[in-house]
Parts: sequence; C-alpha cells; structure tokens
Amino acid sequence: MISEQLLTKIKPFIDLQQPQSYYLILSSKTAFQMQLPQDVFYQEGILTFKNKQPVTFYMIYDGQEDLHIEMHFQSYSQVDLIEVKQLEVNCQLHKTMYLEEGATVHVFSENMSKSAQSYEDVYLKSYATCQYGYSELSDDAFEGIYHFYLDGEEASVKVRTAILAKDRESKHYEILIQHNQPMTHGQMDNYGVVKDEGKLVIDGIGTITKGQHGSASHQTNKIMMFDASCQASANPYLYIDDYDVQASHAAAVGKMDEEHLYYLQSRGLSKKQAMQLITYGYLMPVVEVIDNEMMKKHFEQSLSKVGA
Amino acid sequence: MSTLKIENLHVEVGEKEILKGLNLEIHTGEVHAIMGPNGNGKSTLLSTIMGHPKYKVTNGKITLDGQDVLTMSVDERARAGLFLGMQYPQEIPGITNSDFLRAAINAKREEPISLFKFIRMLDKNIEELGMNENLAHRYLNEGFSGGEKKRNEILQMKLLQPRFALLDEIDSGLDVDALRIVAGAINSMRSDDFGCVMVSHYERMFELVQPTHVHVLVQGQIVMSGGYELIEKIDQEGYEWVKELGYEIEQNERQPIILEACGKKGQ
Repeated sequence: MISEQLLTKIKPFIDLQQPQSYYLILSSKTAFQMQLPQDVFYQEGILTFKNKQPVTFYMIYDGQEDLHIEMHFQSYSQVDLIEVKQLEVNCQLHKTMYLEEGATVHVFSENMSKSAQSYEDVYLKSYATCQYGYSELSDDAFEGIYHFYLDGEEASVKVRTAILAKDRESKHYEILIQHNQPMTHGQMDNYGVVKDEGKLVIDGIGTITKGQHGSASHQTNKIMMFDASCQASANPYLYIDDYDVQASHAAAVGKMDEEHLYYLQSRGLSKKQAMQLITYGYLMPVVEVIDNEMMKKHFEQSLSKVGA
Repeated sequence: MSTLKIENLHVEVGEKEILKGLNLEIHTGEVHAIMGPNGNGKSTLLSTIMGHPKYKVTNGKITLDGQDVLTMSVDERARAGLFLGMQYPQEIPGITNSDFLRAAINAKREEPISLFKFIRMLDKNIEELGMNENLAHRYLNEGFSGGEKKRNEILQMKLLQPRFALLDEIDSGLDVDALRIVAGAINSMRSDDFGCVMVSHYERMFELVQPTHVHVLVQGQIVMSGGYELIEKIDQEGYEWVKELGYEIEQNERQPIILEACGKKGQ
C-alpha cells in the first residue's frame, strides 16, 4: 500500500482521487496500485502504452526495496508522464524505456528520494521524440545515471535538469546521449545550484558513433555556487566519430553574476529577492517540458528550499 | 519638492580616481543634461549615485532630501526613489520580463499589485512605447536588440515612477522613431514630482527632451553649467574650448583588443 506520508507529499500536485487520474504506484516487485486508461497495460514489471489518444500518466516509485520497470511506448503514442521518485536509503531504481517509431513522450520527473540511485536507459526508434525534465531537488545524496540511445533516424531527445545540492549532500549525475543512427538530434541542458557545503558532479556525455551523418549533439552544463565551501564540477564530454555532424558543449561553474544582482537590486529588489529570482530563472525552465499548471506551481514552491 | 544633492564627490575605480570633487544639486521638476567627452566620469557619476559596487567613494556626500544615500544599499536607493536607466542593461536568462517587472513593482509596495491591474498597466505602457507585445513573456533583455533594451529601461522607469531618474545614454541604439517615442515617454513623466539627469552625446536627444540645466563634465568635475546654449556650442565646436578654461581633456586609454579563440588554431 502507498504510504500516507507519500500521499501527503504528492497531494499538492497529484490528485489520485480524480476519476481521470491514471497512475501506477510501484512499491516493490509485487506490490503496486494502479488505475490505467484504455490501451495502457501493466504486467510483471512491464508497462505498455498502446494508446492512440494523448494521455497524461502518473508514475510513482515508492521504493522500499530495489525497483525494476520497463516501459514500452508503441508507435505514434503520445504520453505526458509525470514521475515521482521516492526511494528509500540505498534503494535502486532500474528503469528502461522503449519508444517505438514516432512515439512522443514528455516526462517531468520529480525526485524526493533519500540517499539512493537511479539507473535509467531510454531507447528511441525512428522519429521518436523524448523531452525529459529532471527536477532533482531532493534532500539527500543521490546518484542518477540517465542514458539515452538514439537508435532510429530522426529520433530526437531533449533533456533538462535542475539540481540542488545543499547541506553536505553529495550528488552525481551522468547524462549520456548516444547517437547510433544518422540524422539524430540530442540536446541536454544541465543546471545545478550548490550551497552549504553541498557537492555536485555533472557529467554530460554526447557520443556520435561512426556513420551517423547529419546528427547534432549539443550540451550545456552550468553550476552556480552560493559559497566557497561547496564543491562542484561540470564535465562535458563529446565523443564524435563522424565528420558531417554538429556538436557543441559549454560548461561553467561559478558564483552568481554580480552584475545580474546589481541590475535587479537597482530596481528595488532586496539582495535575497534578487538571488531567489535569479535562481528561479536558472532552474525553472525544467518544468517547461510539460504543460501542467499544478506541476509548475509545485516546482515553484519547491524552489523555496533553495533559499538563496 | 525633493532634492538630490552631490557634494565634493570623489570616486575611485580600482586605483584610479575618476570623480574629483564633483558638486551637483537637482530638484524635482528639473531635467539636467550632462555632457562631456568619453572617459571623464559621466557614467561613473550615475552608477555611483545608484550604488554600483565597483565604484568606491573616497570623499564627499550624496543626499536625497537630507538622507545619506551612500549608506543605503542599492535596493534601498531604488526604493527611496532613484532609478538608473542603464547604458548596457543586463540580460538575465530564465526570468521573464513580466515576472521581473511585477517583482520590481511589488518591492516598492506594501500590498502586492493585483495581477489584473499589473497586466493592464503593463499592456498600456508597452503599447505607448511601441514595443513588441510578446516582450512580457520573453526572458529579461535576453536576445533584445539594443533599441529594445533601451525601451525596456524606459518601460521600467514608467512602471516604477521614480522621484529621480538617471538616464545613461538612453538614446544610444535607438532609431529616429524610437528616439521620438522614448523622448515622449520621458517628457510624459515630467512633473513637479520628477527630476531627471540625462547623459547623452547628442543634441537631438536634448532637442526632444529640453533640459532645464546643462553641465559639462571634464576630468571628474563639472567645469561649466548653463542652459541649452551650452549644448549648441558643444554640438558645433566639440570640447576643444574646454582647454581654454584650463582643463585637460582626458581620453580613454586605447588598448588593443585581444581576441581569444577556444578552438584550435586554424579552425
């Protein structure tokens, strides 16, 4: 059964009592609760979307132990997926997603886990599109290994992460986009904020294998540090094995721009307000992957813990 | 009537003294034009009044109706009624113009402005300034043209209704039509409750916004004050005549521009 504690946590942005709320809550290999729409099926750890009409789906990982799940998105299915990860200490989530030809999947992923790990692989066939927003504001250490494989022509993926490491939390994220077919498009924008002796490492990896002409791999990794006691590292890697491609990377670790602060303060905002607004602007675009007002509001409220 | 008073102001940037005992008194209801060759302290003066951390005041006073401005933080100065229209407004990604403007308006109010009232006020001013409607939803100054940025500064001035506006080359980057619109907006603010200090190099700006006082700033001091005739003289003769008053004209040090590439040589 889903814990009361989790229900209270997700209530501000997910109302599972609504008749139109479709969800799967996964607590262990055998324990789950669900309400599925037509043409969506779950059996023995495999969730399959065969829907012809667009659907919004809530996926909740209430991990008391290691969780394994596979998700299949059939050709031309359209899914908005809102994920909540609540993994207990030392739990691992192993998730694999398969997007068939022309599937369009937008995911907003909210991490509320304790010190845990998540290993995620996403495979995209031709013309499949995936937009993924990772909100990583959890209050504990975390390791996220998120890999995307573009296995069909014209497949495209856009990843945006918003990470907060605070209060001596140590977080590590590895985001890989690998181009295994020509004319594939990958973009990742990883943004982090580190404060109060927090530690954050972001590894952004773009790989274009040989023969994948016309592909584009772009990435930005930025970490803003609030004080000198933090540790942060933003590492971009590009492995390109073809000539006819576009590739770019940018990485920056630094403190908040003084000129930005001055500009906002010169309009009457206090330093604290200015810092909050800048941080908000820095992390907020992660919610743009999904058009969901409740989610946006919830994320805005979550940002208050950045505290500036 | 409010008074912004600057007395014997000395300001350093790094180790270099830029303002060397400057005096100026501005009252609401007045528009002061400040002219002078590049690199003589015009922008330094305006930025120091606003409180930019780069500028260090080593001597002198700035007061607003007797209150010590120099002990105020930047935001306190803004809330006290000072506004700086910047020469190079910052681009800040992720913050929409409307979120920023609303936060700025609320910073001066006890009760936050209602969304409806804010939108009505914003739409009205955007239209008056001939700005693009989608500007409210774009990120603050990001990707704005030079002219759009300057209009956005004026938009902020109109929404924030300061007692004293300091406009630093607000006309640069504006085409003829935009210049007329911006000048119209500044003129529309003129009242007994509004004072303005404008820095510009061009007579055209001061034709459209007629100053009540004109000052020439050279070597960190105001060397001459007068009326519109001073602007005409500068427009015709430049600043050479200032030397006859015994002042050397300081020129910006010319330094070679170093271009650095992040790619490999030849690429």
